[in-house]
Amino acid sequence: MLNTAMSQPPAAPASPSASATSAAVAESAASALRDSVRRALHHLLRNPMTLAGLVVVVLLVTVALCAPWVATHDPLRQDLYATLQAPGAAHWFGTDEYGRDTFSRLVYGARTTLYIVALVTVVVGPIGLAVGAASGYFGGWIDTLFMRITDIFISFPSLVLALAFVAALGPGLEHAVIAIALTAWPPIARLARAETRSLRKADFIAAVQLQGASPLRILVRHIAPLCLSSVLVRLTMNMASIILTAAGLGFLGLGSQPPSPEWGAMISAGRRYMMECWWLVAMPGAAIMLVSLAFNLLGDGLRDIFDPRS
Amino acid sequence: MHFANLFKWLSLALALAISAAPAQAATPRDQLVIGMNMNNLLSLDPAGATGNDVLGVVANLYDYLVELDPHDLTIVKPALAEKWEIAPDRNSITLTLRDGVRFKSGRLLTAHDAAWSLHRVLKLNLAMASPWKSYGFSKTNAEQLITAPDARTLRIALPEPTDPKMVLYTLGTSVSSAILDRDTVLAHQKNGDLGAAWLLTHAAGSGPFVLTEWRAKDAMLLDRYDGYWRGPAKLRRVVMRHVPESLSLRFMIDRGDVDLAAGMAAPDIEALKHDGRVVVQPVKRGNTYYVALSLKDARYADKRVRLALRKLIDYDGINQAIMPHYGVAHQRPVMSGLAATLPDPGYKLDVAGARKLLAEAGYPNGFRTTIRVLSDPPMINIATALQATLAQAGIDASILPGTGNQVYGSMRDRKFEIVVGRGGGGVEPHPHANLRAMVYNPDNRDEARLTNFQGWRTSFHHDAINRLIEQAVRERDDATQLAMYREVQQLYDSEVGAIQPIAQMVDTVVLSRRVHGYVGHPSATTLLRDVYKE
Amino acid sequence: MSGLKKGAAAWRTRLLSTGATLLGLLVLTFFIGRVMPIDPVLAIVGPDADVSTYQQVQAQLGLDRPLLVQFGHYIGELAQGNLGTSLLTGNAVSDDIARVFPATVELATLAIVVGTALGVPLGVFAASRRGRLGDHAVRVISLAGHSTPVFWFAMMGLLVFYAWLGWAGGSGRIALAFDGAIPRVTGLLLVDTLWSGNWDAFASSVQHIVLPACILGLHSMAYISRMTRSFMLAQLSQEYILAARVKGLSEAAVIWRHAFRNILVQLLTIVALAYGGLLEGAVLIETVFAWPGFGQYLTNSLLLGDMNSVMGCVLLVGIIFVTLNLISDALYQVFDPRMH
Repeated sequence: MLNTAMSQPPAAPASPSASATSAAVAESAASALRDSVRRALHHLLRNPMTLAGLVVVVLLVTVALCAPWVATHDPLRQDLYATLQAPGAAHWFGTDEYGRDTFSRLVYGARTTLYIVALVTVVVGPIGLAVGAASGYFGGWIDTLFMRITDIFISFPSLVLALAFVAALGPGLEHAVIAIALTAWPPIARLARAETRSLRKADFIAAVQLQGASPLRILVRHIAPLCLSSVLVRLTMNMASIILTAAGLGFLGLGSQPPSPEWGAMISAGRRYMMECWWLVAMPGAAIMLVSLAFNLLGDGLRDIFDPRS
Repeated sequence: MHFANLFKWLSLALALAISAAPAQAATPRDQLVIGMNMNNLLSLDPAGATGNDVLGVVANLYDYLVELDPHDLTIVKPALAEKWEIAPDRNSITLTLRDGVRFKSGRLLTAHDAAWSLHRVLKLNLAMASPWKSYGFSKTNAEQLITAPDARTLRIALPEPTDPKMVLYTLGTSVSSAILDRDTVLAHQKNGDLGAAWLLTHAAGSGPFVLTEWRAKDAMLLDRYDGYWRGPAKLRRVVMRHVPESLSLRFMIDRGDVDLAAGMAAPDIEALKHDGRVVVQPVKRGNTYYVALSLKDARYADKRVRLALRKLIDYDGINQAIMPHYGVAHQRPVMSGLAATLPDPGYKLDVAGARKLLAEAGYPNGFRTTIRVLSDPPMINIATALQATLAQAGIDASILPGTGNQVYGSMRDRKFEIVVGRGGGGVEPHPHANLRAMVYNPDNRDEARLTNFQGWRTSFHHDAINRLIEQAVRERDDATQLAMYREVQQLYDSEVGAIQPIAQMVDTVVLSRRVHGYVGHPSATTLLRDVYKE
Repeated sequence: MSGLKKGAAAWRTRLLSTGATLLGLLVLTFFIGRVMPIDPVLAIVGPDADVSTYQQVQAQLGLDRPLLVQFGHYIGELAQGNLGTSLLTGNAVSDDIARVFPATVELATLAIVVGTALGVPLGVFAASRRGRLGDHAVRVISLAGHSTPVFWFAMMGLLVFYAWLGWAGGSGRIALAFDGAIPRVTGLLLVDTLWSGNWDAFASSVQHIVLPACILGLHSMAYISRMTRSFMLAQLSQEYILAARVKGLSEAAVIWRHAFRNILVQLLTIVALAYGGLLEGAVLIETVFAWPGFGQYLTNSLLLGDMNSVMGCVLLVGIIFVTLNLISDALYQVFDPRMH
């Protein structure tokens, strides 16, 4: 929920690696990327917390992909005569108010969570990068227009904006994803813009321009890859807040609709039975917490790696 | 170390906050504290206030001409009217009002106030004019038909032949029948609005309580009116507190912070059943939880498909797992407890039978459809269970949850396939109230826009049923009338009506054992004048 | 002289662009509102109203006029300081907001105090123990606070501290016994109860606010502690710190009297931003605790389609956010020209 705020203060961007000849420009950009990846992995392995975060994220992806094999029951199968059963041998995490197996719903819910995260990232990343880079590179009225638009979106608390969009579009997972994406792209755009503005004056960019490269080529092949790392870091950190916003929307009844197993919606439905049937709320709540924490740790670690200041 | 100091300071502050707690005091003996969700309390104007919650408030701020006995709704008891007479030709009702009733303002209540209150409802033409319009009243004929020949006599001439019992029921249960203090209301009138703006948040009645304060969605305070004609109420004050979370409400009633909890969720009520300090009081209401199909959709226009869908509802499972504290199993379009109501036909889940019917109708592999439903329990739960049983016959239903506006809005626009909802009229304890709201559809054209009839909304149009409904309400012989209503129900069963009731609504209220004299009213007009605490 | 003029001109354009942003916000909200399939008329007339009643009420609310006309009318009213009337309750929106906003302000303020009181020491602690167990522990704790769904936290808190232990008050802002007994001065119950000298009422309002404020505060704690840590690390790597250590100053003095002093301004801007973020986090907390505040008002208005109320709320929140951003940018500009 602190989309804009949960990040470093407006930072001096990392200095790009300059290269001597223009012919080696593209190659040096690519090798810079390779270097940073290698450095990232090195740091990752040395930082236990970040590693833990990575492990959990990998676990999430694995469980989501292998859901049919991990789950013990059909997550949608109801049994109205076996509702609200406590965790036991037959149902590891008990059953919900329709008699559906909680463990299986949790497992398939990982898919929903992954879906939300992936979809939002896929929408927000490229759009934010594109808008920000274009805005920073071209300047002038394009810059003013885009920044005005992002200002408007940033001035809106993200949950409220997401609420408004979902209320307008109607409840549903896809609509919730669109709504969240609409609130998550401005900070990315801002970040990309800041990076681009400092890069735009670099020598190697001037060199490529002299060579006659079109603006599009410059943006795509030279500037975008260099912004990528900060954008990725920010995206990773935002994923936790995306998951929480989606859960919040689900809690308010505007997220995914029945019968699909989404963790936030499971908490919302389960809270009515919370006192007697703690497992309905504890399990999805713990899952959300674990995954959010993992993304936060991972993003934190990535930022430690890519930003030498902290 | 600096940090140690900091932590010491923090824990001291916390301890201070905790120890500052006064001992949890129980609520004062002369105050009734009600915890409920006040989100639907939007207006107090008897001409326009909709929803069930406002009924309970208006019934205690105002008086009605008659009252219905909560234990047997068909018994009409005197209230402001001492006695009444139905004309032999059944075309008018004459009520004699009692003397000596004073409004809070000090004015004497007369038949002129009563007539004016009813005129006002029709002139403003807001939501609560509906029952009166259904009898044929309108803003043009109201003043001629509803008259006060003298200060104690109110004469209501019926514009169309109908069952006068219905009109009496409406006078006893509808918010629109509250008798207003004409002079006080007119004194606050703005731009000729007949006091509509002022009455949104104020009251001018003769009831046992007066409105002291109302903070929307927070709290409402009612204080005792000592000049009440039946004598002052036993409670000095009634406090209504907005508690939207059922769980919080449960904690509060368990700890004695509220005396009465209304609208709690079933699991919390279930848990409180074992709590020795409270009593769980279920009150049956006139409306039902139902599954409605739109006959505008070619598939549902086919009777076989409707019959298949009827067989794909797990009545027993739903009533056993989902409906406790929300409703009681009921499958007829007329509310239970009336003489005319036939026993349940015993519909059951029958997937095999449904599949056969679907195959006959040309859908052997099912089809895709949508279910619109309110996001609140138990409606959303019924819809989710329905989705699962429909899937067993190959029908892939996606659920579109929404608020009441969205769901019923789409129904009114005839843009839906399946709706799971709650309604069906039934404010008056008469089969006509249910049938008119749920089944009657005199004009099925789109242009007719009879949005107040669910029959129209579902595009269910049956000539014989319509005629029976029209004739039965005019029928003078009770036995014949009974037979007619029974025939309607049988026809509705064989024709597979568009709306299939699953359960009749039950309003469950949880009371502290200290509260006595509280009798929940099936029409939601629960009177608090005789309630007291030990 | 010209520097000052330039500065003033920059601020003028800044304010103009802020105004444009707010206008854009209103347009966006208005559009969303009128396009939403939520019908406030139905909320007023009920689902069983007939067409004549429906159309009458719709006309009364002015909802049958074309969109542009409605928007123009709204802006006209706004220019005169009138936020319109709530479509549902008939109250003036400004009255409604004036009633609910102090409740959220009270909650958010206390939450930020909690978040700062916990977050800053933790951040300094983590910076002083960089890379070691203390640092990692603080990171996990604060991130855990930020990763937990706030509504779940709130429910658990209510369960443990109200239902089981009885330490915290229940829903609402004050015990029912004091309802209506406190004259409204500021709308902030903690202040009003002290003003009226009613100590029991004060204690009760403290009891009721403690739990939601702490839970909300734990959420901002993570951000504040991370920022504090990062600022402190930046300071601690500077030369003057090295000089201070060489001079023989104790570690505590180095940290608190030198490094910490220098980050106070930056902290202030961070706290301001976190405060803005809390205003929206309050939405979920207010639902669980039945706190009659701004977040709940906005959510309900949104779900019932009461667009006049929503517009008023959006305007207010927009102004707050923009103001906070302006302040934080201004402070940055003044104290850290490097960031420009």
